[in-house]
Amino acid sequence: MSLHLSHLQAMLLFAVVISVAFGFLSRRPAMERLKYILWSLGLFLLIGIGIGWVMYPFSH
Amino acid sequence: MKPAIGNGPMVEEAQAATDVIDSKRQKLALGIGLAGWIVPGLGHALQKMWGRAVACCLTVAALVFIGAGMRGNLFTSEGGDAFATLGYLADLGAGSFYFVAKALETNGPDVSRADGDYGTRFLAAAGVLNLLAALHAYEAARGRKA
Repeated sequence: MSLHLSHLQAMLLFAVVISVAFGFLSRRPAMERLKYILWSLGLFLLIGIGIGWVMYPFSH
Repeated sequence: MKPAIGNGPMVEEAQAATDVIDSKRQKLALGIGLAGWIVPGLGHALQKMWGRAVACCLTVAALVFIGAGMRGNLFTSEGGDAFATLGYLADLGAGSFYFVAKALETNGPDVSRADGDYGTRFLAAAGVLNLLAALHAYEAARGRKA
């Protein structure tokens, strides 16, 4: 079994899975839970991509 | 005439009964936490929290499958340094899914490429997430609002 993912795909998958897990572990009604999952996912991606761009000057 | 309120025998009996119930509840909670560690989601399932049980099981399983599929490194107890030991503890957090990951990685880890590096992180995250879920199940069993 072999899985080849790009950096973005790996980050996206990770963010989705962790956000869903955090959402379900919190004690919230269904709609709030969904909003929390989406908010958490957005933050993961924003911070992940943001840190990538911050590190960009140092990679060259 | 009002009954005297104080340290009467009835109060002591009630306190002893409460202590027994608390002790039983604590043991039950520990068992539930342990079950949740060994089988992801089981701790919540035992308390009929079906949504959380399915979510915990599926998310831990997804991380393990993706991590093993990307040929991440699954640490063992024979690690030579503190980092390897920490990695082993994190991986072991996935409970029985640690052995599932071991069975899935038929070609062994490959950390020479970025895939393998990501896979290692996915496997560790699976373990840590499962520990969090097991702790959550334990706290819920103790009656803490969760």
